[in-house]
Amino acid sequence: MNLLGKSILELKTLLETKEISSKEIFEYFLKRIKKYNKKLNSYLTVCDYNDKLKGIPIAIKDAFCTKGIRTTAASKVLDNFISPYESTVTSKLINSNFQILGKTNLDAWCHGSSTETSDYGPTRNPWDLLRAPGGSSGGSAAAVSAYLSPAAIGSETAGSIRLPAAWTGLVGLKPTYGRVSRYGVIAMGSSLDSPGPLTLTTEDSAYILKIIAGKDPYDATTVDKKVPNYLTEIKKNKKYIIGLAEEYFDGIDEQVKNKVNQAIEIYKKIGHQIKKIKLIHPKYAISDYTIIQRSEVSSNLSRYDGIRYGNGREFFADEAKKRIMLGTYSLSYGYYDAFYKKAQKVRTLIIEDFKRVFKDVDVIIAPSTPITALKLGEFTKYPFFGELMDVLLEPSSMAGLTALSFPVGLDNHHLPVGLQIIGRWFEEENILNLAYQFERETNFFNITRIALKKYSD
Amino acid sequence: MTKTKLSKEEILHLSKLANLNLSNEEIKKIQRQLTETLDYIKNLKELKTDKVDPTHHTVNSINVFFEDGQNNSRGLSNISTYFKVKRIL
Repeated sequence: MNLLGKSILELKTLLETKEISSKEIFEYFLKRIKKYNKKLNSYLTVCDYNDKLKGIPIAIKDAFCTKGIRTTAASKVLDNFISPYESTVTSKLINSNFQILGKTNLDAWCHGSSTETSDYGPTRNPWDLLRAPGGSSGGSAAAVSAYLSPAAIGSETAGSIRLPAAWTGLVGLKPTYGRVSRYGVIAMGSSLDSPGPLTLTTEDSAYILKIIAGKDPYDATTVDKKVPNYLTEIKKNKKYIIGLAEEYFDGIDEQVKNKVNQAIEIYKKIGHQIKKIKLIHPKYAISDYTIIQRSEVSSNLSRYDGIRYGNGREFFADEAKKRIMLGTYSLSYGYYDAFYKKAQKVRTLIIEDFKRVFKDVDVIIAPSTPITALKLGEFTKYPFFGELMDVLLEPSSMAGLTALSFPVGLDNHHLPVGLQIIGRWFEEENILNLAYQFERETNFFNITRIALKKYSD
Repeated sequence: MTKTKLSKEEILHLSKLANLNLSNEEIKKIQRQLTETLDYIKNLKELKTDKVDPTHHTVNSINVFFEDGQNNSRGLSNISTYFKVKRIL
């Protein structure tokens, strides 16, 4: 049976009709990982098949604590750390008939937008091995894009799901902050971190979100809101008012702009309304995010003392040290008001800005990234490369909104272009619905199926 | 936010607060990188925030408690309640 490129829901059906066993599916992916992982470096740890669990295999970003399985956050500080507990997200997946295939590479501690700050070497973009897959969930993105897993879990602080999804041609969903539990997620920016799925199809994204979303007593920042049945919600024939802000097209690569504009024409053709809106320029979000994130990072990484678990702080690599230092500075005596407090006030401005705009539109569409996948090594030219690449994604992250990215075309380097849809807080069903409508109309131009051509069995 | 060029003493002070042991090279590199970053983030001054409250939590939950006596079965280890550490004496 040819499994190459099958979605989660397709595999689920094959299992239910007993056309294939979960062992056969798991071993199918193990074979592919053996064939391609050395080249791509998308997995840090590969698991053995566990017959007690059965279930559909899924790749998990190595920032999630998985009981009994090595968890490193791609840092030598946790090189040999075996997690003594299970994160809520992976726990829910295991209870919903999934099995962990392996832990994927990321920027160490999620610090980055290219997976190049990993202490275990960068992951390569399946579209062009000389390029980065994006980050920080780059390992997860490369795994799904090259079909070394039918889907993966990533996490986003500001761009870490949407950017790699855009650079590798996948559907990447960042849920509203508080929609999905952070219990067991190695903390980066505690007021921002949002776990979410990277998938080949919108339906898979909806299916996984339904499983992982919901109030968790172990994470007090999760919200007690009912979790809709996303799979049925996305199929409702709804028409939306789509907002477009000039500020999000400012300074963007021409080819990215063209593909996104062509996609917007398709939405018009289907019958959605477009409205021009004005938003605070995303360049301010770069500064805002840099301060808040690095402050929270300096606090979160202080727990790694090398005494209770893991190696000592001398095992931190450059990027982590840099971010800890800036965070310490902005929180230190005499500077807290000028930096952290000011940044939290700007954050209020950004939230109020979105609230105002969401009175007139249902969703906002924009490019996901200013440019397509960069060559490996480019990031060293910038002191805050990650934050610069994520410019279009940071404002919505600062506000805690939900957003997703999906592919809308290829540029002339034959690299995927991602479009993002930003939705109101806790309205994941709307952005998924719109993405699904686009998928039904175009099949994402077959971009999510690159593995079928380049990564044969 | 008037002074942005960080001195070596400030870097050393910060590294002590953060419990990071930095080599001389690292100190120089971080000095340069931090100064560049601080220069960029100055642009926040262009936004007026005098009458604005800070946001600490984007979804504004209040008083979320874990009820006493509720089943906390997902602690760190169900084998023991202790951490095993390297020998210190």
